[in-house]
Amino acid sequence: MTGQRFKQISFDGLLRNNPTFRLVLGTCPTLALSTAAFNGIGMGLAVTFILICSNVLISLLRKAIPNAVRIPAFVIIIATFVTIVRMVLDKFIPSLYESMGVYLPLIVVNCIILGRAESFASKNKVLDSAMDGLFTGLGFTCALTLLGIIREVLGSGAIFGYQLWDFRIGFFSSSAGAFFVYGVCIALFNHIYSKAENKLRSKNFAARIMQKPDIGDPQSELAEQAEAEDAVSAQTPAEDAANAAVHDNGGKA
Amino acid sequence: MTVKQFVRSEAFKCIVVLLAIALVAGGLLAILNDVLAVSAEERTMRAIESVYGQELKYEALEYDSAQLSNQYGSIDQVYLLENDAYMLRSTGGDGYKNGTVTMWVILTPSDDGFDVYKVVTEEYAKQTLMSQFGNSFYAVYTAHNDELADGDVWFTTDASGIQNVQAGATMSSRAINNAVNCALYFARNVLAGGEV
Repeated sequence: MTGQRFKQISFDGLLRNNPTFRLVLGTCPTLALSTAAFNGIGMGLAVTFILICSNVLISLLRKAIPNAVRIPAFVIIIATFVTIVRMVLDKFIPSLYESMGVYLPLIVVNCIILGRAESFASKNKVLDSAMDGLFTGLGFTCALTLLGIIREVLGSGAIFGYQLWDFRIGFFSSSAGAFFVYGVCIALFNHIYSKAENKLRSKNFAARIMQKPDIGDPQSELAEQAEAEDAVSAQTPAEDAANAAVHDNGGKA
Repeated sequence: MTVKQFVRSEAFKCIVVLLAIALVAGGLLAILNDVLAVSAEERTMRAIESVYGQELKYEALEYDSAQLSNQYGSIDQVYLLENDAYMLRSTGGDGYKNGTVTMWVILTPSDDGFDVYKVVTEEYAKQTLMSQFGNSFYAVYTAHNDELADGDVWFTTDASGIQNVQAGATMSSRAINNAVNCALYFARNVLAGGEV
């Protein structure tokens, strides 16, 4: 794996295709388990472990699994790792096992895991798939932890179980509060991401112009840049995801 | 299609691959289950820790199956703890979709009979709203020990006894009541020295 490829996979998993804030996947556990930061970390790490293991195994077996039965095969593989995680948590961290409740077995049908298996692991090499699983999982973990911290601080006046103050707003511990915090976080994340991306593109564009020996009409170049920025800001996360999927497939749509 | 053609077909390959994956996964899980399974003793100790915040020695008590079931449900296990409290694993029926709720009910002997010291959820079947039951709901069971000393008072979801209803989850509430009543019935009729 080249450094450039590693950088691209990590950037995709953590930011550009962040499963929670950009692709809005795995919403059910995100809303249900973000009442406390510890639950968010637990769920995120469980998903990360399953993502890495399932991605590696699916990538290893990608040439052996016939196309017609790839989805059932993926589900069996994912279900196996989910069961292993359930056993381990029940044995060693029973409190987390109980707090995750029904959402732990439901990881089997988590669209993040099935999505990465289908769009990435079944078409890429083992190491790339492992890295994709790791960074997509870390992106999910960070998002859940962030939501958990916000909701725990505002809803319970605590952080990671440690009581900070008695002031609390019950709304943030409720389902409606989960939707509200999630929506605000998505808006902020995408706003900051778009700003940063536009800034980076402008910087790169300016650098390219400076390097060009034969600069054409500066006004038309600036107009071209403005159009490019407009196109970037108009691009939705869904389009980004579609572009990423094309990229994951080696350029094939 | 001949057997030879079938064996060479894509359908056969699909079946073999799926079977192979399922077999390997099943074998792996069977081995891990042996290593990681949580024993009944470990679960009991966890329940004791969740109630008292520390480990306590306990002794399992044996009773006839006829003594262990009554009109409210059934008693799965009875333990006598080192602090003389009884810890009963009690399953109440008549829940949502005829499901059950299993509770740990800790009873402490008192001058008038038995007091409910604590009630902890162990597991449940077919109940979908168990998350609605919090500390305030379970606190009702320990707040009426004076009335329970009467010996003929039970928890109910109507007004005929100690009313204990959780809005939106009345059927699960009934199963929880039954589990607690089952433990109380057992304590009053068996532990107290009576016969069923």
